Amino acid sequence: MNKKNKAGFLSVAAIVLGLMVVTMPALAHHSFAAEFDATKPLTLAGIVTKLEWTNPHARFHVSVKDEGGATTTWDFELGSPNGLMRHGWSRNSLKPGDMVTVMGYPAKDGSKLVNARSVTLADGRKIFAGSPDDGPTQ
Amino acid sequence: MKRLGHSVWGFGLFLVALTAFGQGGTGTISGTVKDPVGGIVAGASIQATNASTGTVYKSTSSKAGAYTLADLSAGSYDVSLTLPGVAPFAVKNVAVTAGSTARVDINLKEGTQLSTLGEDPLAIAADLKRHHPPSGPTPRTSEGKPDLSGVWWSPRTVDPGKPEFLASAVAIARKRNEDNRKDSPQARCLPNAVTRIGPLYEFVQSKDYLVMISDDDSPGFHQIYLDGRPHPKEPDPLWYGHSIGHWEGDTLVVDRVNFEEQVWLDQDAHPHSDKLHVTERYRRVDLGHLETEVTVEDPGVLAKPWTMKRVSDLAPGEEIREFICAENNTDVEHLVGR
Repeated sequence: MNKKNKAGFLSVAAIVLGLMVVTMPALAHHSFAAEFDATKPLTLAGIVTKLEWTNPHARFHVSVKDEGGATTTWDFELGSPNGLMRHGWSRNSLKPGDMVTVMGYPAKDGSKLVNARSVTLADGRKIFAGSPDDGPTQ
Repeated sequence: MKRLGHSVWGFGLFLVALTAFGQGGTGTISGTVKDPVGGIVAGASIQATNASTGTVYKSTSSKAGAYTLADLSAGSYDVSLTLPGVAPFAVKNVAVTAGSTARVDINLKEGTQLSTLGEDPLAIAADLKRHHPPSGPTPRTSEGKPDLSGVWWSPRTVDPGKPEFLASAVAIARKRNEDNRKDSPQARCLPNAVTRIGPLYEFVQSKDYLVMISDDDSPGFHQIYLDGRPHPKEPDPLWYGHSIGHWEGDTLVVDRVNFEEQVWLDQDAHPHSDKLHVTERYRRVDLGHLETEVTVEDPGVLAKPWTMKRVSDLAPGEEIREFICAENNTDVEHLVGR
């Protein structure tokens, strides 16, 4: 997360707090708790193999190599393309072959499925969080 | 006169004593603020409350996420920070001693409503930054009625009302929530709860009908007839209900009945009965704002009518994109209850 981005977030947050009576916008196509385990955050690094710019969720797949050299493909869930595009992200923000480090929450049913909460490219840029228009990513 | 002179002298001595105490007896609390994924949080308002006096001190985090609460009288403090979308942070009994600095690093945790990237606190903040409702008079149609047409942001609730649900409805909502709302219609790409709107929606108004289009619902649109027709005589359940509207002065009153049994009433997973009757009163008070009063009547689930008030900001320049939910809904097989 770049600093300018954060500053933007909080300037808005201050306005929100000032209003006091604000409800969070309606969120999420499905309940987080029905699918993901908030008590087991994990971080995985690997190479992007596919991006699905689809509804109700954009998704990307990452090939992750374990210590023994075996690879596993993980399926990462994002928000809907509508929301991501409104914030300036696109189907070109992440491409097959990109190296990424992803922090997220795994599926409760044990499948190789993760709700992504932080996606970092090899050059340190964080993507899909907030808006890239808030300032140069670093 | 003499007595007054003594009083002034005494007050001066008191001030000197107070200043001396302030200089010799203060300490500092400092630290950094980070979001749930380790990012720096700038501009956050951190509060420290003296446990014995109740005095509140405030500081704002810097661009590097650092904050300092200086000149605190020695004592015990409660440090807190609240931001939308993340869990409230609070730590009690931070000891401040004269001349020293107590370090309290604030690592924010996810809120109860965990959400994926694109729907997370930063995304919500990014949306809020885009709210610039224009000023100007209420636009009107050629017939002189207010024109509600335009793209609008999800409304903020200015008065949530006080719904009094019957025990049977509370029990159903509790069961649904205990099951992580895994069976919500929305998770299966069926329409959202009756009272839910957004994040963006559009009104397209003509003389005889109004159409509401949502950007994250399937199919995401419903018609409100303004041509004077009544509700159908035979019940004909519909996911969005049957909606007719009429003007009362500059207020459009929309009457909705005949809701499909499967649709949920609200985001808290309450059910409804076949007696559900929703009245929405829309008033475009100026170019940039749309006030809505929603009254939910349903003797099958509510002890008395429930009225809430909302305001939407106009979203000029925003676009309603299609939301074909069934395109790639791979989540259903992974949803589990408790």
